[in-house]
Amino acid sequence: MFSLTIWGDRGSMPTPGPDTVLFGGNTSCLEIRANGRLVIVDAGSGIRQLGDKLMREDIKKGPIDADIFVTHTHWDHIMGFPMFTPIYVPGTKLRIHGPITYEEDTLDKIFGAQLSYRYWPVRQEELGAKIEYEQIKETTMDLGGGLTVQTKYLNHPILCLGYRFEFEGKSIVTAYDTEPFRNVFPTDPADPQYDADAAREGEEAAREENEKLLRFYRGADILVHDTQYTAKEYVASKVGWGHSSFEYAVNAAHRTGVKRLLLFHHDPNRSDAELQELEIFYQERVRGKTALELEMAREGRTYIA
Amino acid sequence: MPGSENIRRVREYVVGMPSLPTTVTKVLEVCNNPKTSPIDLDNVIRLDPVLMGRVLKLINSAYYGLGTQVTSLARAIIMLGINTVKNLALSTAVVDRFSDKGAFRAINMDGFWRHSLCVGVTAKLIARRRGVDPKAVEEYFAAGLLHDVGKIPLNNALPDEYVRTMALADRERLPLFLAEKRALDLDHCEAGRVVAESWKLGGAIADAIAFHHTHESYRGDHGDVVRTVAVANYFANREGIGFSGNLFPDKPGPEVYGLLDMEKSWLEELEAPVAAEIEKAKVFLKLTH
Repeated sequence: MFSLTIWGDRGSMPTPGPDTVLFGGNTSCLEIRANGRLVIVDAGSGIRQLGDKLMREDIKKGPIDADIFVTHTHWDHIMGFPMFTPIYVPGTKLRIHGPITYEEDTLDKIFGAQLSYRYWPVRQEELGAKIEYEQIKETTMDLGGGLTVQTKYLNHPILCLGYRFEFEGKSIVTAYDTEPFRNVFPTDPADPQYDADAAREGEEAAREENEKLLRFYRGADILVHDTQYTAKEYVASKVGWGHSSFEYAVNAAHRTGVKRLLLFHHDPNRSDAELQELEIFYQERVRGKTALELEMAREGRTYIA
Repeated sequence: MPGSENIRRVREYVVGMPSLPTTVTKVLEVCNNPKTSPIDLDNVIRLDPVLMGRVLKLINSAYYGLGTQVTSLARAIIMLGINTVKNLALSTAVVDRFSDKGAFRAINMDGFWRHSLCVGVTAKLIARRRGVDPKAVEEYFAAGLLHDVGKIPLNNALPDEYVRTMALADRERLPLFLAEKRALDLDHCEAGRVVAESWKLGGAIADAIAFHHTHESYRGDHGDVVRTVAVANYFANREGIGFSGNLFPDKPGPEVYGLLDMEKSWLEELEAPVAAEIEKAKVFLKLTH
């Protein structure tokens, strides 16, 4: 069995309260199961409850052994780690993989900074778990047991990876936080900053990277995609913030033959009522035009690939 | 063997090699400004061989194993994002830890900067005139800009020895790379190779760094770039644009122009556009001299 459970789907900051009960207020955390194997994507605030579940259920079968893939090191994607109970339990084995922006920094330092006395009462050195950190780039990895993962750089204001997990012919793909690549150089010769070489190279680079992204999504059984904004919001004031619109994600998923699209990384200001309304709006919009199934990611829900 | 000790000192220096003093103020200004435009970022990095090399290192190490070497800065900015490139530039643009104002250096870094830029611009203009694919032209620029990068560690990590090397070249009327070999058992092409390895630069850029004085015996895959940089280097020295320490430059033989399928006379026509590009850079960097 190849499954995905959502433990956190909120963007930017946890949003507890009566308006976020249905879709959840925890930041990014996904649990992926490939038969016995446990893979976690991101350590946002949702990882706390996943940890509690592992302590209730999995620990009975033996020590926790998991790979954690971090999409990027922005705070909402790592903030839950100090409250992930298995890190305090001797015998736990964690392999944390993720991209870092400069070679001078290391992933363990970025993560470990949260576990220092100025932020938290326990230091990284005092944890019970055995934790290995691995900085990763664009690559393909064999995780054993028939599970593989391919990574792809996304477009976010910091290095950020998308993950494509494959198991027994099925695929689960994550593509957040990201917005479509775009040419950031002026293309109008009348612009005082116009440079013909940069304009041409920029066009080509953006086009090629966007094509690579589409190839990365192709045929996915489940695609978890950043949809923090509507197209109108995106164009009005969010270009360059590193998040996608619903319209882009739906189009990209449809064009690449994705089977199920989970709309993810909900804007912290979006209430349950608004998300529900948007969900119905986009479902209606594609009805009868595509085989694609789409829905808003909901905290606590499990999907089988 | 003095060569191995000198190589060790070069290697040590290269790890934290700072950007050039000529560009550092502008780099800090551009990169500390939250509203910096991508084109300003592109402009400021391409004016500094150290920054350019390190940004190329980042993009290529990030894509290591994917086959193609990225040599365009515009592409790096789009793929890695403006923040990543800005932060990388900021971490490189530190004041030289060896820059003791009282110490004498063989090569003045302002003159070196001007020479490097001139060779980059000239190589690019020659490539354009030869009808090289526009996509590849940027590689000619990067190769020209970086060709003498090996002189930075020689000048700064071996300051006294390098002054003596220059004196030897002067006394014996030798091209600088030959004097380096004799005095240091290490020329700037070999030192440049150390830099290129550290920055994981391969292909045409690494070959231009390593072979621009020995292009006649070069048999690799990037002959056009290596020879173009050799011609551009000769042009910069002949015109006295900038100064990279070479008072008695080696002159490319006539066969080089034949191999490049270019006329030597093109160089005369390059004087004005090269001067214009350098002037533009000076205005951008607010240089007064």
